[in-house]
Amino acid sequence: MTAYILRRLVQTLVVIGLLSFFCYYLMTLMPGDPIDEMIAANPFATSADAERLRQLHGLDQPVHVRYWNWVKMIASGDLGYSRTYRVPVTEALGKSLLNTSILAGTALAFSLLVAVPLGVWAALRKGSRVDYLVNLFAFAGISVPSFWIAIVLILLFAVYIPLYPAGGTQSIAFGLGPWESLLDRVQYLVLPVLSLSFLSIGTYVRYTRAAMIEAMANDYIRTARAKGLSWNRILIMHGFRNALIPLITVIALSFSTLFSGAIITETVFAYDGVGRLVFLSIQRNDFNVAMVAFMISVTMVLVMNMIADLLYGVADPRITYS
Amino acid sequence: MNAVVPGRTDGAGRRAAGSDRQKYLEARPMWKIVLGQFVEHRMAVAGLIVIGFFLAVALLAPVISAVTGLDPARQNVLARYQPVGSWEEASAYQREVRVERFLRAGDRRAFEDYLLGLGLPGPGVGREEVVFELVTRHEPGELRTLLRTLPEPGDPAARQDLAEFERVVRDFRSFHLFGTDELGRDVFIRLVYGTRVSITVGLLVALMAGFIGLLVGSLAGYYGGRVDTVLMRVTDALLSLPILVVLIVVSAIDLGKVLGDTPFAFIVDHQYESVIKMVIILCLFSWMQAARLVRGSILSIKEQEFILAARVLGARDRTIIAAHIVPNVIAPLLVAVTLGIGNAILFEAALSFLGLGIQPPTPSWGNMLHNAQDMVQHAPMLAVLPGLLILFTVISFNYVGDGVRDAIDPRSIRR
Repeated sequence: MTAYILRRLVQTLVVIGLLSFFCYYLMTLMPGDPIDEMIAANPFATSADAERLRQLHGLDQPVHVRYWNWVKMIASGDLGYSRTYRVPVTEALGKSLLNTSILAGTALAFSLLVAVPLGVWAALRKGSRVDYLVNLFAFAGISVPSFWIAIVLILLFAVYIPLYPAGGTQSIAFGLGPWESLLDRVQYLVLPVLSLSFLSIGTYVRYTRAAMIEAMANDYIRTARAKGLSWNRILIMHGFRNALIPLITVIALSFSTLFSGAIITETVFAYDGVGRLVFLSIQRNDFNVAMVAFMISVTMVLVMNMIADLLYGVADPRITYS
Repeated sequence: MNAVVPGRTDGAGRRAAGSDRQKYLEARPMWKIVLGQFVEHRMAVAGLIVIGFFLAVALLAPVISAVTGLDPARQNVLARYQPVGSWEEASAYQREVRVERFLRAGDRRAFEDYLLGLGLPGPGVGREEVVFELVTRHEPGELRTLLRTLPEPGDPAARQDLAEFERVVRDFRSFHLFGTDELGRDVFIRLVYGTRVSITVGLLVALMAGFIGLLVGSLAGYYGGRVDTVLMRVTDALLSLPILVVLIVVSAIDLGKVLGDTPFAFIVDHQYESVIKMVIILCLFSWMQAARLVRGSILSIKEQEFILAARVLGARDRTIIAAHIVPNVIAPLLVAVTLGIGNAILFEAALSFLGLGIQPPTPSWGNMLHNAQDMVQHAPMLAVLPGLLILFTVISFNYVGDGVRDAIDPRSIRR
């Protein structure tokens, strides 16, 4: 077990390292030049000044040297400085990381709460009208563009029926008590969470249904019924338990989709999260922020995949890690 | 399958065939069985019809443009954000400008003589003024009917000019089925051309990704060992990435910096640079599912006896892969490609929506939404329509993929 975890950890680290170089290299291929942007506002800057700035920031060196310098900087605990926000990267990232975790976590919990019962229900009534409708809903979920559902939600619940704010993270207000400020945050979370959940609900419903149908077709279900076990017990301990493994895989893999969805959702709803930060910093050539945010998202996804592999063992005792 | 017993259903959208034993006892070729299975999946058939419709729209886009007289690129800042189903009439000044443009576009003397010969537009009008006077004296609708009743000109040059002039006059009054966008362009015709772009990108990406997947998957599955390990590690690593983040980073790169000195430099500044770039980028990150599927089925196929028999007969690796393994892998690959089209359309739309994908003026469903989101309160249809088309297309491809998967799955074949 320990050896397995260690091996996976090393593999994951290697992948992260390769990806970080790949990404760093891609950043140099983007249009625009950070130095041009720095001196754009200064009409007195000469080309000699630009050259000096280039040397100062180490931009005159080849890519691999710059990458190595960046790695050394990160390793020493300094994440660099954000040029557009004019604060250290840690400061720019810290809050938005928390905001994204809240958004993605709520969306994940909500979509599981909706999707798993729906999927099980559809599986138990395979072929019925309920199954048909749930299937249609799930297909709509995986086929709808996430940004469009966000726009439609804004139109419905912020423009036509003004129930919730159309965008933002929280109200600009002082003196709110802890309860009121929580309520305020929830107001701003409802629409983004709904739009982010829509997509994952579709995926989860489909997998839950398929896994549940497969599990309930096994002989041991018939045996359990013949034994006289209660239906609920069969459903939960024998059926659902065995449907869990594919579900865990999907949930773990969907972290990457959830994060991708968060970029779109956060952009449309102007929600102050990592996804939006990545997008904006890439657009504004703010490489320090973009690199760190990219690394965090990739690491998060890879770690979740690893955790999923470990959770298989919990769900299915037959799986050993040797 | 004619023998459908009403009320007995098996699986979503499928009906179990009844007890028409004779039908099941006769031998049927594989493709007939698969087709029969597919037809039973009602949603998949409906999806196929929707896809057919969109394909027809995409192919016929220039015809639709010619018939309706609408141009996806023509702007009209005086008619921005027109509501759905509105008529737009050119002002007197705009009419004059367009007539002048028509007159300057070529030698129109034959046409002017022809009009003068008919006594149009009235007595005492010099040749230079003929066309202008014709336009100012008649209302656009009236002028159109007038032109239609004119006798056929004998001079071929005049005949050509008359047809051209009729087109100019027709554009004085245009109907906008879905209104106009932020530059006064007709939304309907832009959606038609957007269908073309989005479906082309979807098809190209899925087909090319399917091909890459077939290549990687068969190499990994057939050779196994170290080749398999390396290829599958790469596949897994790519699969586990937050794909949209990577796509944003990759699509933000400047093609000029990459292709500067290579033979591919012609793509830079090409009319469809952003479309080509989108197809390449989406291809690079969407072959992994296909590769896994192909590898999986090859692993199970290559252990079977007929492969051993081929090898005993002295067949080379190349022959075995091409003649024995690929045909058996086509079916799962077909599913992956069909589902891939929907995904590619979604990713293209998402990137274009963020302003990183297909660049204007080329319309795509995604970049139409990009412009629409700023004015969503005043012109909601601008945002709703392209999204609905994306939803319909993608859901159709997903249902067809589902139908194909069910149809080729040996476990689900009932005979």
